Amino acid sequence: MEDILERAVQRARSQGASYAEARYQSDRNESILLKGGTPEATSVDTQRGISVRVLVNGALSFGATNVLGKRSLDSLVSKVVKGAFAAASARRTPIIMSPAEMVVANHILKPRVSFENVPWESRLELLKEADSSALEAAERSGITLPGRYISLDALTTERTIINSDGGHVHSVVPRVSMHVFLTALHSEKGTMQRIISRGESAGWEGVERWDLPSVLGRETKTLSRILREAKPLKGGKMDVILGPEVVGLVSHESSGHPGEGDRILGREAAQAGETYLSKDSLGLKVGSDLVNVVADPTIPHSFGHYLYDEEGVKARRRYLIKGGVINEFLHDRETAAEFGVTSNGSSRSVAYDREPIVRMANTFVEPGDHSLEEMLEDVRSGIYLKNFMEWNIDDRRYNQKYVGLEAYIVKDGELTSLVRNPVLEITTPGLWKAVDAVGDELEFSSAYCGKGDPMQGIPVGTGGPHLRLRGIIMEGSS
Amino acid sequence: MKPLEICENALSICRRLGANDVVVSVMNKEESMVRFSNDQVTVVNSLDEVSANIFVCLGRRKAGINVLDLGVRGLEKACREAVAMASNTPESSLYAPLPHGPFDYDQKLLKKATVPNGPDQAVHWTQEAMAAARKAGASRTAGSLVARNTISHLATSGDVRGVAYRPSLELSIRAFGEGLASGHSLSISADEAGFSPAEAGREAGELAKAAKDPVKGSPGKMDAVLGPMVFADLISQVGRFASAFYVDAGLSFLAGKVGQKVANEGVELIEDATDPHAYGALPFDAEGLPTRRKAILDKGVLKTFLHNSATAEKFGTQSTANAGLIAPAPFCLKVGPGDTSRDELLSQVDRGIYVTNDWYLRYQNYSTGDFSAIPRDAMFLIEDGQIVASLRELRISDNVLSMLQRVKGLSKERKWIKWWEVGTPTLSPTALVGELHFTASSQ
Repeated sequence: MEDILERAVQRARSQGASYAEARYQSDRNESILLKGGTPEATSVDTQRGISVRVLVNGALSFGATNVLGKRSLDSLVSKVVKGAFAAASARRTPIIMSPAEMVVANHILKPRVSFENVPWESRLELLKEADSSALEAAERSGITLPGRYISLDALTTERTIINSDGGHVHSVVPRVSMHVFLTALHSEKGTMQRIISRGESAGWEGVERWDLPSVLGRETKTLSRILREAKPLKGGKMDVILGPEVVGLVSHESSGHPGEGDRILGREAAQAGETYLSKDSLGLKVGSDLVNVVADPTIPHSFGHYLYDEEGVKARRRYLIKGGVINEFLHDRETAAEFGVTSNGSSRSVAYDREPIVRMANTFVEPGDHSLEEMLEDVRSGIYLKNFMEWNIDDRRYNQKYVGLEAYIVKDGELTSLVRNPVLEITTPGLWKAVDAVGDELEFSSAYCGKGDPMQGIPVGTGGPHLRLRGIIMEGSS
Repeated sequence: MKPLEICENALSICRRLGANDVVVSVMNKEESMVRFSNDQVTVVNSLDEVSANIFVCLGRRKAGINVLDLGVRGLEKACREAVAMASNTPESSLYAPLPHGPFDYDQKLLKKATVPNGPDQAVHWTQEAMAAARKAGASRTAGSLVARNTISHLATSGDVRGVAYRPSLELSIRAFGEGLASGHSLSISADEAGFSPAEAGREAGELAKAAKDPVKGSPGKMDAVLGPMVFADLISQVGRFASAFYVDAGLSFLAGKVGQKVANEGVELIEDATDPHAYGALPFDAEGLPTRRKAILDKGVLKTFLHNSATAEKFGTQSTANAGLIAPAPFCLKVGPGDTSRDELLSQVDRGIYVTNDWYLRYQNYSTGDFSAIPRDAMFLIEDGQIVASLRELRISDNVLSMLQRVKGLSKERKWIKWWEVGTPTLSPTALVGELHFTASSQ
């Protein structure tokens, strides 16, 4: 494969490209779905192909094909170079790739338990056990579960990337991902829904670590309690403790996305949107001194894990917010050149036929020194949002909404009654500046983050400890 | 092998291996996409792909696989893997035999057609759109333009054979103006004659200019005029969740409501992929049934869910020719026109808000339809029937079904909508909705 990619790079160079990269990528997804306790189809979907990206006369062009013959690849290179010439006719300023130390590396993440050693029957057995656990918990709790949707994916991504600046990376990363959607019904109280996601860069041992039957049993029991016990919240000013699941999403949506170099430059303006930050925002105070938000692709087993990006740049840990101050943006080589810095290894692509663009990997609030109990102790009147169902954020990443799912009134340092659908609707600086205590235990969730056109849903980790926010105006229950 | 050979060979192999139902599809796709920002082309994307998929049933056991190597040996291997997977899969509760053809497809929908899809033409159209937006008052633009030709081959063990040509042109352009002002417009078409990049650019530019210097809006319940991009996003939720798959999974606010009035009687929603001139037209669904026009909402009454053969069997009805092999789905949605104009709808509002675009619609509860979505781009305060100010930073927090009951009027003019936020092509009017709930950040 290296020979073929090298040939594509050389051909592009000979046709006028000042920079060229070629990538082979194969994504195999083994998927099963249990709906209402019975299996739908099992499926294996493997997408593989070669992409070429070139810079010609200061214009970028990308192309891909899954027809892997020599003639097809030669045709692809010519088409991509032609596309760059066409693009160059509609550019005033040239695109430049920032200088970067190129990596020659091989990164193979070996699963402890390979997917091929786990038969379909065993996978379905596990899902059925989890489904039964949820049903039993529902029966014990006096509710029903009219909607139960459990999907489990085993994914393997293999990439080889070669570029004209000397980068050469081969990687194989297995991932496991689970998505559960539960609808709980109480005959008098109505319905409540919960989405549960798990994801790791690992083999089947990742799934075994999750203990799905226990998770679904526990979550069903909680849904029952919310349905039976939760009372409406009277809105007003109060302290708010956010659970790690909420904090993870906040760090992703309200720090990671605003800090993406391509958004700041307006490259995503018509799709995933823009940002409230600008090129001049480094050093801007957006949060309290306690807020440190980290983006780190290198965390072992994390869902967003990678060691080398799509441009052959070594990944590293970055502080997006440090001490409440905007500290660093996420860059690929294109945006880094615009900002006069070097790439920090943020170029990712979800498939062979998708352009590499600036992406997050694992974004999280760095833990502090408070236990949850210590946070609660100092709250006279407040609310604890452990997790959420509904959320969204505007395209400048400035106004966000989280509707709590499992949420409790805090009174004189104690968790008291459950509240139903409390609404937190707040600006980004309003949220980060209100943080006065940071928990000491970091927890991660997994998600697929959407961006780009065509859409690229890419695996990411979102994480955080508990955060305490002072003096927040909560809306009443929705 | 040629696509039809792939289909015939795969059918033959899978049947030989014991499959009772087999669906083979082969798709060729060739496209150019231009992405642009700050009035410059950001990147040109060129794709040339062939994909083949095999779906088999062994009794009620189902499995699907895509074929990587389209040679004889690769096809044999994929067929064997698909049948082996099905044999190791427990029986599905959702099963029905495939529809048995052959069927007569509408010849107009089978017509060979293509659109120009080279990068030079795509860049030229993009420049037209950007120039029109700037001329209309935009300070900068961003967006994407796609020119795509797709050929789909389908063969099933139910004696179905079909070839469909689907050309498409899509432009999404966002124009920016003064002080956080922006406007968004689209042009989508199945042919060059219906594609209007300059018109879309002009509209986006005019909206951005009109929306200059927006101020923070005040929350509350107000009458709202929702432009086609917004109403298409909201009404396409009805199309999406009319899928019997979602109903069966407990994920639809329409569950149990067939025959009930779920919207104002003026609201008609048609699922129709049979208009040969429309973007999204299709001769057959994924099981090979000829597509057909049907009302999802008629005078506000929910008439049907969308079915494939398997969901229809479970619900005790007939397929609506909306397969998806696993999940049925709408192909093309049309909202019936109203009897007034957008300006007349605006004139009916004493105090309210005109929203031209939205995004990031998320549900609090799929089974009740409680949701929120964020207006973006041009949004205006209406007083005494007149636009009096440009607004920003509001959120729509409401309920789909309740909102549809509060539709007070629809415009005669309709526009085709499909973009990043609205996946199903939807022909939508402007709508006037009473007492829409707007919320805002508290601090």
